[in-house]
Order: sequence, then C-alpha cells, then structure tokens
Amino acid sequence: MNSTIIRLSTQALLGRRRGLVLALIPAVVIALAVVIRALTEPGTGYEIVDAIGFTLALPLVALLASSAVLGPEIDDGSIVYLIAKPVPRRSVVLSKYVVAWLATLALGALPLLLAGLVLDSSEPSQAVAWALGGAVAGTTYTALFLALAALTRHAVVIGLLFVLLWEGLLGGLLSGIRWLAIGAWGQEIAASVSDAVTAPGTGLLYAVLAATVLTVGSVWFAGDRLRSFTLRGDE
Amino acid sequence: MPEQPVPRTGASGVIHDLGYRPYDGPRNGSGTIASALFLSGFRNAFGLGRSGKSKVLPFLLLALNLLPAVIIVGAMTLFNANELPLGYARYASATQILVSIFVAAQAPVLFSRDLRHGSIALYLARPLSSAAYAVARWAALLAATLVFLLVPIVALYVGAVLAELDFSEQTEEAAKAALLAVLLALMLTGISGLIASVSVRRGFAVVATIAVLLLGNGVVTAVQGISDEQGELRVGEVAGLFSPYSLYRGGTSALTDELFLTPPTGAVMTAAYFAVMVLVGIAGLAGIVLRYRRIAGR
Repeated sequence: MNSTIIRLSTQALLGRRRGLVLALIPAVVIALAVVIRALTEPGTGYEIVDAIGFTLALPLVALLASSAVLGPEIDDGSIVYLIAKPVPRRSVVLSKYVVAWLATLALGALPLLLAGLVLDSSEPSQAVAWALGGAVAGTTYTALFLALAALTRHAVVIGLLFVLLWEGLLGGLLSGIRWLAIGAWGQEIAASVSDAVTAPGTGLLYAVLAATVLTVGSVWFAGDRLRSFTLRGDE
Repeated sequence: MPEQPVPRTGASGVIHDLGYRPYDGPRNGSGTIASALFLSGFRNAFGLGRSGKSKVLPFLLLALNLLPAVIIVGAMTLFNANELPLGYARYASATQILVSIFVAAQAPVLFSRDLRHGSIALYLARPLSSAAYAVARWAALLAATLVFLLVPIVALYVGAVLAELDFSEQTEEAAKAALLAVLLALMLTGISGLIASVSVRRGFAVVATIAVLLLGNGVVTAVQGISDEQGELRVGEVAGLFSPYSLYRGGTSALTDELFLTPPTGAVMTAAYFAVMVLVGIAGLAGIVLRYRRIAGR
C-alpha cells in the first residue's frame, strides 16, 4: 500500500460533486427512516433497510466509490503517469481498493445500522445484522466493481446490470441466482446474526467462502489487469 | 538575425483574387444543421454510426426489453387466453430497471462526450445557437427513449391483434399506453439529459441518474406502501408526485383500470399528476438549454 496513492484516491473520491452525491445516497436512506419513525409506530416500515438500503443504496455507493478511484484515470489515460512510478501495480490497486472499501463501509453499511436503529431501537440485533451483512456484501461489491473498472470502460453499466438486472429482477424470479448473487451472501450472513432476517438459503459457510474468494480474486484480477495495461483510445 | 521592422503600408494592401472558384451553391440554414444533429444523435443513441462495441449495450437492452413482450404473446397464444396477461401501460413499470439503465447509459453518449472532448466548441462555432444544439440533442434522446418504450408496446399490440382479441379495446389501451410512454419519456429525457450535461464524467452521470430514478422510486414506493398500510392514502398520493415512475404509475391508474398502490383520487390530484409529469419534462429541457447557454457564454 502507498500513502500517496491513498491520499490522491481519497481526493478523487470525495472531491467536488462526486463526494456530494456519494453522501446524498445514504442521507436519503437515513432521512426516510427518520421521517417514517417520526410519523408511525416503532418497527413500521423496517423493510426499507432491506429494500432500499441493502439492495439499492449499498451497491450504488460501492459502484460509485470503486469507479471513482480508478475509472476517471483510465478514462483520460492519466493512469500511465501513476503506473510509470516505481510502485508495484498490485499495491496501486490495493491502495485504491482500501479507499473505496472504507467509503463503502462508511456510506453504505454504516447507514444500514443507523437506519435500523432509528426505525426500531428496541431490537438492535437486527440493525447490527443488516450492517454486518452490508459490510460483507459491500466489501465484495467494491472488489468486483474495481475489477470491472480495470477491465472495461463500461464498468459502471455492467455493474448496474449485475446489481439491478441479475441480482434484483432475475434474482427475484429465479431463486437459484442466490448462489451467484453478492446481495444474497450478505443477507445470509445477516440472517446468521439475527433471526429477524430471512436467510436466502445458501448456508453461512458458502456465503462467507464465496464472498472471500470473489473479493480476493477480484482485487488480484484488477492488479493483474493493471500489470498488463494497454492504452486504448476513446471510441 | 536582427529584427526587420515591418513596413507599414497603410491602405495600399490588397486582397488578390487568385481566380479560385468560390462556392455558389445553396447554403443550408441552422434548421438543416439542427435536423442533421438530431438524426446523428438519434443514431448514436443506439450506437449506429459508432464503433461496434457501442452497439452492444443499447441493442442488448432493447432485446431484453422486448423479450418479456414476446414471451407474453407466446404464452397468450399457447394458453388461448382472451386478454394480455400484462397490460400495455403496466409494461414500462415492470421493465423500469431496463428503461432506467438505457436512458442513464445513453444520455452521456449524447450530452457528455462533446463536453468532455471539447468538441462542443466546434458545434457552437457554426451558425447554430446553443439553444438549438441543446434542443436537437434533447429531441434525439427523447426519440430514442420513445422508441425504447414503444417497441414492446407495438409488439404486444401486434400479437394481441393477430390473436384476434377485441380490436377497438386493444387499440384504445395501446393508444393510452403510448400517450403515457410519451409523458414518461419526457420526464426521463429531461432528468437524464440534465444530469449528463452537468456531469462530464460518464460513470458518474450514469450512477447519479440511476440514483435519482430508482432510489427516488424506491423511497416513494416505501412511503406509498406505509401510507397504504396506515390508511393515510393522501400521503401516498402526494408522495407519488416526487418520482417519475410513481407519476407514471399514478397516470396509468388514472387512464386505465390497472391497479397500483395509492392511485391519485379526485380530479385535482389526477390533474396534478399529469401537470407535474409535463412540468418535469419542461423543466429538464429548460435546464439543459440554460446549461448550454452558460457553456456557450464562456
């Protein structure tokens, strides 16, 4: 890891409007939780933690964070100045991954805990469960999207198709997709912490193993793509 | 080399006519430029006239958007159903993820690329005004979104007519769905175009558009669900005014007998839904025009 790259990536992530939108997504989730809690009984509308926070806001934050640390540099070609420095490519990727990962934890997983506690403070274990599941899913999402960003210019759209179409739309229709859906693995881990969360049914061991393998594999792959990086023009 | 003083010749300079033939053919005005810009923009939105890679995504999305319609028509004929299992107007709601990804991904193609690469200066150096450029781009995206929304409706309609369902009823329902599709396309084009023209980075614009469209819809749907549970229907109706897809659902339940959560009740609320739909579209276009006026003023 390299502290200069971490500092530059943090600036790229939080600088200007990007940081604003990144903060706006969890802010919407928490604001919704506060409004619902203020107007209704405790425990009403707890589904939003799952339906909005976990399945929509968390992947969007991970997608925005991981494409922000790598995407623009590859897009405008300035990545060559970075990889021309005598810093191992893997440590470039690892530094960038750490920045995106911390942002996803802080702005994707932590709001799940806050929203859960706001909606129903009598049962903190459920909120902790969603936050833990969100942390695991966020870790994996960030790694996968970073690998996509290193692989293709259309990383954001492919990432969206994966989250919304594959996990969301098709995952709701074909239950077998749970074996290949990051969200389902995170939910499995959440279910092992609190009984209030329904388990998708892949088993805890599979969920943890799959998330670990995909995370490590994706970060390694991103490093490998950067190692054999070729410049391409914009189409 | 010592600098030679440039002799000041005053008025004695002449422009020599070297005898080249000047252009004396017809000159097209800015209307032609705008329509050419519209046509190329419309083609570019589907990747036509661009690299092969750019064609993959829009046509993949179009195929995915058409697939359920084909399956529905197939299922209908297979089981001899006497009505479509999924109404025309409900179709866009059911496939809103695909529609959102299409506009979010293709709006930057039309709005961000010229800004990012600075080629906007070349367009604005022509006799075309910045407003006309903005409107041409907007119209191109609107047309592309409309095609995206209308293709499955047409497929369903053709299937229904060929299966000899009641012709006048099907025509009426399809026409209503087409009208609603125009309103939805107006809103989506305005929102995605404005975001893409403000944000030059492609990935950022895509995620921001998706966040506005789908996260907004998720929030509104949650509020509508809770207000329905609590019996406070008015809250849900008002909340529905704040997201394009909930406006579309409200408009659909006003025009057709499709059922959605907390549909607008009363003439005032229904009128408000349609007014907001048109206003969002107009505001988006105005925002894009203003944005390009600022760019041209630089």
